Amino acid sequence: MRDVLYLAWRYLVYNRLKTVILVTSITLIIYLPVGLNVVVEQSGEHLTARAEATPLLVGAKGSPLELALNSLYFSLDFPELTDYSEVTAITDSELATAIPLYVRFRSRSQPIVGTSLDYFEFRDFEFASGRPMAVLGECVVGAVAAETLGVGIGDAVTSSPETVFNLAGVYPLRMKVAGVLAKTYTSDDEAIFVDVKTAWIIQGLGHGHQDLASPDAAASVLDRSDDNIVANAALVQYNEITADNADTFHFHGDLSGYPLTAVVAVPDDEKSGVILRGRYADEDANSQIVRPVTVIDELLDTILTIQQFIVAAVIIVGLATVATAALVFMLSLRLRRREIDTMLKIGGSRPRVASMLLAEVAIVIVLSAMLASVITLLTWRFGPGIIESFVLA
Amino acid sequence: MIALARPLTIAAILMLLVACSSDERAPASDAEKWAMPGVYAVNYPLAYFAERIGADSVEVAFPAPADVDPAMWVPAVDTIAGYQGADLVLLNGAGYAAWVQRVTLSQSRLVDTSAEFAERLIPVENDLTHSHGPAGDHSHGGTAFTTWLDAGFAIEHASAVLNALSRLQPENATDYRDRFDGLEQQLLSLDQALKDIASRIGDQPLLFSHPVYQYLERRYALNGHSLHWEPGVMPDERQWRELSGILAKHAAAWMIWEGRPHPEARDRLESLGVRSVVFRPAGNRPETGDFMSVMHENLQALQQAFPTSP
Amino acid sequence: MIDIQGLQFSYGESDFSLQVPELAVARGETVAIVGPSGSGKTTLLNLIAGNAIPRSGTVNTNGEEVSGLHDAARRSFRIANIGLVFQEFELLEYLNVLDNILLPYRINRALTLDSDVRGRAAALAEQVGIADKLQRYANHLSQGEKQRVAVVRALVVRPPLLLADEPTGNLDPVNKERVLDILLEYAENNNATLITVTHDHDILHRFQRVIDFKHYYA
Repeated sequence: MRDVLYLAWRYLVYNRLKTVILVTSITLIIYLPVGLNVVVEQSGEHLTARAEATPLLVGAKGSPLELALNSLYFSLDFPELTDYSEVTAITDSELATAIPLYVRFRSRSQPIVGTSLDYFEFRDFEFASGRPMAVLGECVVGAVAAETLGVGIGDAVTSSPETVFNLAGVYPLRMKVAGVLAKTYTSDDEAIFVDVKTAWIIQGLGHGHQDLASPDAAASVLDRSDDNIVANAALVQYNEITADNADTFHFHGDLSGYPLTAVVAVPDDEKSGVILRGRYADEDANSQIVRPVTVIDELLDTILTIQQFIVAAVIIVGLATVATAALVFMLSLRLRRREIDTMLKIGGSRPRVASMLLAEVAIVIVLSAMLASVITLLTWRFGPGIIESFVLA
Repeated sequence: MIALARPLTIAAILMLLVACSSDERAPASDAEKWAMPGVYAVNYPLAYFAERIGADSVEVAFPAPADVDPAMWVPAVDTIAGYQGADLVLLNGAGYAAWVQRVTLSQSRLVDTSAEFAERLIPVENDLTHSHGPAGDHSHGGTAFTTWLDAGFAIEHASAVLNALSRLQPENATDYRDRFDGLEQQLLSLDQALKDIASRIGDQPLLFSHPVYQYLERRYALNGHSLHWEPGVMPDERQWRELSGILAKHAAAWMIWEGRPHPEARDRLESLGVRSVVFRPAGNRPETGDFMSVMHENLQALQQAFPTSP
Repeated sequence: MIDIQGLQFSYGESDFSLQVPELAVARGETVAIVGPSGSGKTTLLNLIAGNAIPRSGTVNTNGEEVSGLHDAARRSFRIANIGLVFQEFELLEYLNVLDNILLPYRINRALTLDSDVRGRAAALAEQVGIADKLQRYANHLSQGEKQRVAVVRALVVRPPLLLADEPTGNLDPVNKERVLDILLEYAENNNATLITVTHDHDILHRFQRVIDFKHYYA
């Protein structure tokens, strides 16, 4: 057996290009359905676990999937905006804890999640270092976000402008890192958490500026009357909240009208959840309430259907590949007629020569299976993260 | 054969490494837990109400230093951490403690104790508005926030504290209700006593050292005008001139101070025919006594200033 | 060593027919077989080696009637007792020189590859001047080197019988003499029988006996 395998191996090594092509083709044929299944199943488990951990989401009427993806996985696209009055309404109902979410802005590639401390308790966060944000302008960084941005306690992250040309809109806010979370192996690892009011400041709904009554702001004053001062665009607005200027930061208007992307509702019990859902059942309401589990299940059903089509296609391609490989093998035998005759002529036993030829096939299949297994293992280990980043990008 | 074994071995090791990679989370750190629920307040009256109602069943904290006005106080980061860890944070509402708007707290644990009477709050216009950008004029003024000086509002504050504590610890609800009833009786007595004094004051003009008596003024229909004089500080000449102008139109015979006035100021006021009486708002914890004893001292001071007709 | 009696052989439907009434080759004898192309010289070697089965008659090789053995037994006998050398060398291009030499030990379990065999292979390679090329692939050798590898492959099993079919046909004069020296030296030193089919009359004088095959075919 050892000699048979040795001769087969030497043949494959000598004809390495052919071997690589065969191994690659068969590996793909084995891996594609298996790997796809692993990815889909794992992603499904991952997505489902995240969805199951989030009882209810309230948002503006629109796509439930967009609402769920943005709220659970902090996707780039954000849904129609709701407002803070939804948080107050849910809190006043005494049916659930309302956790605001404003997931709209980014710091480079990392999502900035405007929320409240309740989110930390809800997700049972633990800190690798530091503490929760205490004052506006502070942030807490997920484990992966910290690595990606290369930041730690005391460093700063800066929000990215929404568009290059919207100079009067979202402007960069420098935020101090107060804490770094321990790894959760969820999308929370990628996030930068801020108080929702900090997110509003990023948007420009809240701001801090020079005291217009002070002499330092004289250059910014356009007009002054007895009871009103009009400032021009030269007014210095702060892009970082510090101990010195924190008192100048303020919001205008009623905060209940300030925007959110979603509200996480954590019902006190199942009955409260049912009652709460009933309150949003009105078709004409401007808001919707979704159970993330339902949304993700529907998404997974769609993915499963697509997967089945892909697997069917792969099987067909696989059969074609196997047939082609068999043809290559038979042609190769024909080309190797003389070599086989030589071995037989000098006394090689027929079974052993045949075994050698079959061993070449077997080694290719075993190598392919092993390679497919390794790639499948790697897929199992890293696949869901890669898939999520594709889905959410 | 060795050439065959080598790639197989590498592959096997690779598979083993990947399969054995750990997904274990970092071990949880121990969280400090209080022996009983922790209740933080943004001012002393709320802390007092929580102490009266909660008694030994809750830990009440009011960490503002004794020498600051809690309305203007900005806590340090580690103090904010205390508020973050509390089971309940009692807010006064009406814009009191603006720092609350600039820190991160668990919304689910915040209790706005003036929510029930929010529409009855007294707006305060700032002297100056400003505008910049497309939003137009806006003011940095807000709402008068010494709401507890209206005894009726004080009862509503206390009621909100009762409801919050009862939700937090339903098993103690009955005890909490009993204690609240006792507190309510005292506040009602205080309210009645103030009404009696107010009836003696009538509509005679009064001066207030600071604009912190709006709710007292409204509840008891007092005719007051507020200055911006600091207790213990001698006003400057500009302020005396301003006072003269006010007295010409609002001939007050009494100034109500939130703290003991500077002796020179008191004397000079008296030379202008204005006597001083101290009515401490009790926004912060007193050096001695408690909220109720301070209110009784206030009551006595007013009774001395405005005695019953002989 | 070789005893052929009443041999008759033909290929399928073809007109070719080989008839050898009687042929004997002694142990240790060196024989050159000459004859016109198509006379059956190679066929005779195949019959002696057991690579072909006569229609009638017997072929007795080294005491074994190979024509009467079944296929597996013939192969085992052949690989252990007969060294074959071909005109076209017939090396496996995907094996290096050493693996080509040791090939007989890998393709039939009648032989066992052990350290003695490896030592013998190395010694033979040294002897024929290819010791420094053991790790090279066969198609990286010159013609002469290839044939020497093929010869060592035939000799490594220490066969009592060597059958060489035009072993020098593709070689230059120098290598021709060199390969012939190796074969004849082996035969002499090991009392082995060497039967060589050749068209080269220049080398006939080196053999003890020359058989003209023109008499044996029809």
